[in-house]
Amino acid sequence: MRKIACFLFGILLGAGAPAGAQQVDVIEHELDNGLTLLLVPRPGDPNVAAGWVAKVGSVYERPGITGVAHLFEHMMFKGTQTIGTRDIEQDLQIIEQLDALRAEIQDAEVELDRRYQLGEIDDPDDPAERSPRHQELLAEFEALLARQSDLLIPEDFSRIYTAEGASGMNAGTSYDFTIYFVNVPANKLELWFWMESDRLANPVFREFYAERSVVHEERRLRTDSTPIGKFQEQFEAMFWQSSPYGWPVIGWPSDLEGITRDEALGFFDTYYAPNNLALALVGDFDHDEAIALTERYFGRLERSARPPLQPRTREMPQLAEKRMVAYADTNPQVVIRYHSVRDGHVDEPALVVLGQLLSGRTGRLYRSLVEEQEVATSASGGQAGFQFEGMFELRGTARQGRTPEEVEQAIYAELETLKSEPVAERELQKVKNQNAADTFRGLRSNFGLMMQLLIREGNRGWEHINTDPALYEAVTADDVMRVANTYFTPETRAVAVYYRDESTETEDDPLLAGLSDEERQQIRQVRAMLGQMPAEQLDQFLAQAEQMVGQVPSENRDMAEALVALVRQRIEEMGGGR
Amino acid sequence: MTGAQRLAMSCWMGLIFVGLAAPATVAQSIPAHPRDLVFEDLTFEPPERAAHRHELSNGGVVYIVPDRFLPLVTVSVLVRTGAYLEPADKAGLAALTGSQMRAGGAGELAPAAFDEEAAFLAAELSSNIGDTSGSASVNSLTKDLDASLDLLFDMLRRPRFDQDRLDLAKSQVLQQMERRNDSTQSIEVREWRRLLRGVDHFSTIPSTRASIESITRDDLVAFHREFYHPGNFIFAVSGDVEPGDFLSRLEARMADWPVRAAVATPVPKPDHDLQPGLYAVDKDDVNQGRVVIGHLATMRDNPDRYALMVMNDILGGGGFSARLLTRIRSDEGLAYSAYSSFGFGTYYPGAFRVSFQSRSETVARAAAIVLEEIERIRSEPVTEAELGTSKASFIETFSRNFSSSASTARLFANDEYTGRDASYLVTYRDRIRSVSSDDVLRVAREYLHPDRLVVLVVGDRTTIEAGDPDNPDVTLEELAGGGITGIPLPDPFTMQYPTAP
Repeated sequence: MRKIACFLFGILLGAGAPAGAQQVDVIEHELDNGLTLLLVPRPGDPNVAAGWVAKVGSVYERPGITGVAHLFEHMMFKGTQTIGTRDIEQDLQIIEQLDALRAEIQDAEVELDRRYQLGEIDDPDDPAERSPRHQELLAEFEALLARQSDLLIPEDFSRIYTAEGASGMNAGTSYDFTIYFVNVPANKLELWFWMESDRLANPVFREFYAERSVVHEERRLRTDSTPIGKFQEQFEAMFWQSSPYGWPVIGWPSDLEGITRDEALGFFDTYYAPNNLALALVGDFDHDEAIALTERYFGRLERSARPPLQPRTREMPQLAEKRMVAYADTNPQVVIRYHSVRDGHVDEPALVVLGQLLSGRTGRLYRSLVEEQEVATSASGGQAGFQFEGMFELRGTARQGRTPEEVEQAIYAELETLKSEPVAERELQKVKNQNAADTFRGLRSNFGLMMQLLIREGNRGWEHINTDPALYEAVTADDVMRVANTYFTPETRAVAVYYRDESTETEDDPLLAGLSDEERQQIRQVRAMLGQMPAEQLDQFLAQAEQMVGQVPSENRDMAEALVALVRQRIEEMGGGR
Repeated sequence: MTGAQRLAMSCWMGLIFVGLAAPATVAQSIPAHPRDLVFEDLTFEPPERAAHRHELSNGGVVYIVPDRFLPLVTVSVLVRTGAYLEPADKAGLAALTGSQMRAGGAGELAPAAFDEEAAFLAAELSSNIGDTSGSASVNSLTKDLDASLDLLFDMLRRPRFDQDRLDLAKSQVLQQMERRNDSTQSIEVREWRRLLRGVDHFSTIPSTRASIESITRDDLVAFHREFYHPGNFIFAVSGDVEPGDFLSRLEARMADWPVRAAVATPVPKPDHDLQPGLYAVDKDDVNQGRVVIGHLATMRDNPDRYALMVMNDILGGGGFSARLLTRIRSDEGLAYSAYSSFGFGTYYPGAFRVSFQSRSETVARAAAIVLEEIERIRSEPVTEAELGTSKASFIETFSRNFSSSASTARLFANDEYTGRDASYLVTYRDRIRSVSSDDVLRVAREYLHPDRLVVLVVGDRTTIEAGDPDNPDVTLEELAGGGITGIPLPDPFTMQYPTAP
C-alpha cells in the first residue's frame, strides 16, 4: 500500500508547482523543540485529515545508503516499544542479536562479492560458494527470526487505526521530503497524536532485514521488470551529472542489500528530530485542543543537537547535448529535458505557464502534433521544480508510421515559435484561468489541502500557498518568450528516444486509450500492485484515488481517472466494494 | 457516624474523586496504550433536506447547499430520461445522446470552439444518460459562473450533435463491443442479469452492431428534444453561491423555455420467473472460476432494510471481519476475495448475491462453504461482538454521505428524483442501533432462500467440474443436484446465442 503512495506523489509533483488558493487561513504554532504545527479547522464533515512531513528525501542520502529515506518510511510502520510486540524486552534482545549476526553475514557477503568481481566465482548468491561459517550464521539468523516472529503482532499499527474507523493510512517518499498521513474520525483525533508521536518517540525498527528485502522486491516490480522503468532510471542518471537527483528514490540494488540498521538509525536521529518536522491537520477540530494535544504528545520529542545536514553537491552546468537511444517494450516515443530552475525561482511561474500552454487537449502540442500534423498520438510538457534543482520536460508518442525523431523535431518547432512570437493574450488567460480553478479544486477536500500544506512545507514553506497565485497571475507574454529563449538551448538538453523492441507484443487495452506512454507504464505498474492488494486496502486506495482526481491538474486528469477506473475494476473483480 | 458508615462514605467519596479526577489525569498524561484512550461519542447532525429545497417560478426544484470556502460552484441537473425510454431496436441511443450533448458542440459553437470556450473558462462540463436518469453538470470559478451557466444551458438546450464527432463515438462503441466476451467479469454481469430479470427487460437488452449503426443524428435530436425540457429537471447546486442570487440567474435562463409535463412512463419491472439451478459459461482460457450465488432481494423502502444490512454485513459484506471472507480466504485459502451484497431496489427488487473467484479446481469447495454460511446465519444468532462491530461501522460512516456540499446536494436531488422521503436520513442511525441479533436471525430466515438459489459459474468448465483432487467429496455436479445448464457465448456484435450444446 505504501508503494502506491510514492507513485501518487509522482503525479502531484510531476505537474510542476501548482498555485494555491487566494487565502488559506492557517493557524501556525511552533513548539519549543522546533516542531511546526499547521491547523486549518473546517467544521462540517466530522473527520480530520491528519499528516506530517519530515523534511528529508532521497537527495539527503549519500552513495552507499541510497534508498534509505524510503526504506525508513517502511520501517516507520513496523511498530514501537508498545505497538507490534507481545514482549518488548525479548524483542529488543533478539533485535540486538540479529544485528550482530547480520554484521558477520555481511562480511561474508562482501568477501563473496569481491571474489565475484574478480571473476573467481560465477554467482555470489550460490549457496555452494558459502563457507561453512557463513551457512551456520544464516541458520542461526533464521532460527532467531522464527523466535522473534512468535513475539510479533503483524500489522498492529495499521490494525489499531482501522479498528477505530481511521482510513487511508499511508505514506510516501519523494526526492525532497517524506509524508505520513491518515484520515481519522473527529472524536478520535487523540488517537492520531498517540500513534504518530509514539512512533517518533519510541520507534523500534524491527523486521529491518525482511523489510529491506520487501523494498528490493518493490524495486524489481517497479523498475527492473517494467518495460521502460530501467531505461527511465538510466535517463535520470544521465541527465543529472553531479546532483543527488540522479539516483532513484528507491535506491540502487547494491545499497538496498547493504544498508544496516545502524545507518537507518543514524538517519532517523538526524532527520526525524522535531525541528525537522511539520504537522498538518485539516477538518473538524478545535484548534486550542489540537495545540494542547500537540504540546502533550509531541512536546516529549527532543530537538536535535545540530541542525539537519543539507545536501551540498550542486549540479554542474551542462556543456553538450546528451542522447540515449533505447529499444523497449513501448510505443516509439521521445523524452526531451532541459535543465531549468528550482522550486521558487523567479522564472518558475513563467516556465509553469509555458508548460500549460503546451499541454492538455486544447494545448499547443496536442492541437499541432496530434490534430494538425498527425505525427503523434499524445504530447505534453511541463516544468518540475525540486527543492534544489529543476528541469523542464517534454514528451511525445509517435503515431503509427511516424518516428520519434519526427515528433522530436515537431516539438522543437513549437519551442522555436514560443521563442520568436509572443503568446496571444486570450491563450495566456486560458492557462491562468485553468491554473487558478484547478488549484482551488485541489483544495476542496480536507485531504487535498492537508497534502498541499505538507508538500509546500517540505519545499519552501507552506505560506507560498497564499503568495504564489499572484506570481502566476502576473506572468506576461514577454516573460514566456524570455524564459523560452533562456532555458531551451540545445547544449543544456538530454533526449531519450525509444523504439519498439520488436520482440514484444503491443497491448490494446481501452483503459489505456488516450494516455501517454509514460502514463500507460504507470498504469501497468499500478495494475501489478493492485493484483497483490487485499480487498480492504483497495477500498482505502480507491477513496484516495478518487480524491486525487479532483486535485491533479487538468493535464493529468485522464491518467487519474484511468487509475480510479482501474481500482474500481479490481474491486469489482474481487466482488465489489462496500 | 459508625465506623462502617464512615468506611462506606469514604469509599463513596473515593469513587467520586476518581470519577472527577480520572478525566483530568487522562487529559494531562499519555496513556500507556491506545486502547486506554477514552473517546467522546461522535456528534453529527445531518443537514436537513427541506432547508435546502427551493422552487422556481416554473415549478422546477433546485437544491442549493452553499459552501463559501472556495470560489467554485457546481451546478448539476438531474434529468428524467434514461435508456429505459429508448426503442429496443435503438439500444445505445440514450447513452450516445448523453455523451454527444457534450462532445458535439452547442449553441453558436462547433465542437472544437465549444471545447476551447470551456477550457478558457476552466469549466468542467459533462453530460451523460444512464439506465434510469440523465445528468449534466458544470463546475467553474465563481467569477465565471454566468459564462459557464451559458455553456451548460447551451448544452442542455441547443446541442449541435456534430456528425463527425458522432461517427467517431459510434466507431469507439463498436470497438468496445468486440471485447464483450473477453473478460469473465463482463460475461458474469451480463448473464447474471439475464438469469435474474429475463431477456426482455430493458436492462438486459444489449446494444448490437445493428442497433448502433442504425442510430442517426436525427435520432439523437429527437431523443434530446423529447426529454430535455425544464419539466424534467431537478437541480443540485453547491459551493460558492448565495441561494437567492443563484435562483434569479436560473430563472433568467429558463424564462423563455416552455415547461412540459415530466416523464410519466414508469421504469418497467422485470416480468420473469427466476429458475433456481446451476448455470455455467465455459471459458477455457482462464484458470480462475468466477462464481455468483443468489436470488432476488427486496425494495429500498422495506422496513427490514436495516436488519438486512447488518445481516449481510456479518455474512459477507464487511470485508475481512465478515464470515465469508474469514472462512474462504483466511481459513481455507480458497479465494482471494469473497463478498456478499443485499440489494435494495428503487424501481424493482435488487439482488442478494455472493460472489467470489477461485482457482478452477476449488470452485466447488468454495461454493459449498458459501452454502454452509448461508445456512448458518439462518440457523443460529450472530454474536454480540459481530453485531456491535457491524452496527458501529454503519453508524460511524454515516457522515461520509455529507462529506462535501456537492455530495449533499446530489444526495438530496437524487432522493427527490426517486421519490424517497427525507426522514430516513434522520432515523438512519437509530434504526441501525436498534437492530438486535434476533432481528438478524429473523430476516436471514425470511429473506435468504437456500432452495431458490441461482448459481452462475464462469470459467473453465472441465477443470471446475472435475473439482479438487484433495477433496473429492465436493463436486459441482453434487451441489447442482438437478444438473448443470450450459450457457454459450453470444456473438459480440449480434448478441445471438448459439443453440445450447
